[in-house]
Amino acid sequence: MKHRPTVLICEDEISLRELVRVAVDSDYRIAETGDGLEATELVKELRPDVVVLDLMLPGRHGLDVLRDIRRDADLSHTRVVAITAGNYAKEAVLAQGADRFLRKPFDPGELKTVVQELLAA
Amino acid sequence: MSATAPAARAGLRARAGVPFRAATRVRSVSLGTRMIVASSILAAIVAGVFAAFLVATLQLRHSTSRATHSKDVSLAALRLEGRVVELETALRGYVLTGEPRFLESIRASRKLLPASIAAVRRRASGTTAQERRARGLANEIRAYVDEYVAPLLKFAHTDPSVARSAVATLEGKRRTDDIRSRFQRFLSVDSERVANSVATANRTADAAIAFGAAGLAGMTLLVLVFGLFLARSIARPLRNAAEGANRLAAGDLSLRLAETGPGEVGELTASFNTMAASLEQGQAELKAQNQQLRESERVKGELVGIVSHEVRTPLASVLGFTSLLLQHDFDEESRRRYLGIIDSQARRLAELVEDFLDARRMEEGRIELRYESLNLSELLRSKVELFSGQSAAHEFAVDLPEEPLSVEADPRRLEQVLANLLSNAIKYSPEGGVVRVSAKAEGPSVSVYVSDDGIGISEKDRARVFTKFFRGDAASRGISGTGLGLVLSREIIEAHGGEMGFDSSPGMGSIFWFRLPARSAG
Repeated sequence: MKHRPTVLICEDEISLRELVRVAVDSDYRIAETGDGLEATELVKELRPDVVVLDLMLPGRHGLDVLRDIRRDADLSHTRVVAITAGNYAKEAVLAQGADRFLRKPFDPGELKTVVQELLAA
Repeated sequence: MSATAPAARAGLRARAGVPFRAATRVRSVSLGTRMIVASSILAAIVAGVFAAFLVATLQLRHSTSRATHSKDVSLAALRLEGRVVELETALRGYVLTGEPRFLESIRASRKLLPASIAAVRRRASGTTAQERRARGLANEIRAYVDEYVAPLLKFAHTDPSVARSAVATLEGKRRTDDIRSRFQRFLSVDSERVANSVATANRTADAAIAFGAAGLAGMTLLVLVFGLFLARSIARPLRNAAEGANRLAAGDLSLRLAETGPGEVGELTASFNTMAASLEQGQAELKAQNQQLRESERVKGELVGIVSHEVRTPLASVLGFTSLLLQHDFDEESRRRYLGIIDSQARRLAELVEDFLDARRMEEGRIELRYESLNLSELLRSKVELFSGQSAAHEFAVDLPEEPLSVEADPRRLEQVLANLLSNAIKYSPEGGVVRVSAKAEGPSVSVYVSDDGIGISEKDRARVFTKFFRGDAASRGISGTGLGLVLSREIIEAHGGEMGFDSSPGMGSIFWFRLPARSAG
């Protein structure tokens, strides 16, 4: 039986959460949250294959959530796509453990491709 | 600026090791005046010494000429005396021997006598006493010649024995002795006068030498004292000023010089201090300006960050859904839904631009209000209804009076204020909770309260809540916004003649309120 990948979307803007969901499309298991604290709990619970992580999250900052993921040995397979509207340097975010970095506004097609590539690797 | 002000200030700033006296500097005599006075004193001393030497020299010359003259007088007198003696000797020779060669000698002496007498009298003229004595001498000699020599010669021719008698010879000796003693007196008086004159001249010369020596010593002392004064009062302050200028150039702008020193030197140090104070003030102003510039640069940087974030977020939805709609065929329902999102996010962008423009307008005092009579309760209810759909985590509690709350206000602007307060209440309580909205008439005003159970406002941020672009630690908490909402809200309320404020305890939540003048029942 084929493994059905899990994608966790962490984004506080409701409309962007929907945009990400529609963009990645396909038959993944999709989970969503708009809060940083909840995101940390969900990654432990769901052990997603890909996390689309907004950096400016209420509750707990996206970079802290990223650190939580990287510290957890059970989540070594988890790939993280960081997205932000802020002025974070791409290199700095990648250095902290993100696999990909997209700045808002992003192309939904590109996001879909990025998620597919990360799952295929 | 008065002369004492910088000195007093300098006194406060004077550093350890920097000499400083004179809290209030008494303006001293100018350096030029002092130099003129000192030079005048020197010149006076030189003139005095020169005059003393001149007097002494004149006196010496006078006494020398007096001595010369006296020598002439003595010589003439001695010559006359010699002639008288010759005459007497020849007379005796002739009377005793009757030899004709003595007669020859007598004639020659008698012939020369008047000229010799005249010579003595001429030289004795000038002092009455000597003139008198010379006259007496001349009379005595003439009397001796007329009354003794001439009759004795006659006897010698006629009766030589009578002439040779002792009486006649004794009479001649008495007369010539008389004449000789007169000569002695005459000469002694004159030599005494010469001695007096020489003594006076010597005394004057001694005095002149003493005065000259004293004057020289005085001048030396004066020159020494003046030199010392120049070194102490001018050279040292000037050296201090030069060193001070070097230290000033090296950046020690707090340096002040002691404002002592005579006249121009004092003015120089005072000017130096004024210059240093002005430089220091200028530097302080520059530093303050620099600090301000840096602060404004920082604010600008923050603003760019805020603007780009606030623009990118709705833009991501607009462009993202547009892209999806262009590339995929969605069912009618989804298509309409996505277009709705695009519409609302585009409006959000427009509002953002409007907020920035409003902030600009308010700065320029160009905000316009379109007053209408309205019931605040209705406005509150409709706004709460709109916001209650936006968050599942928040509950809204509304407490409004039965009777209408009538105000004169611009409804669009008032909606803007309410929307800001409600969205803040939601944004700043990310864990959810109850948002309470209440309003009531309080005397001549209507008050509105919006409270939340959120993160509250820390003590250090309270003073800056109504500062443009200030967002506390909202950004690090992932709370979006421009930092303009509350600033604009308060401006709007104040433009209506009302007031706005807040209370908050960190971790417990915040309550924001505003008051508007109630519309009078008439």
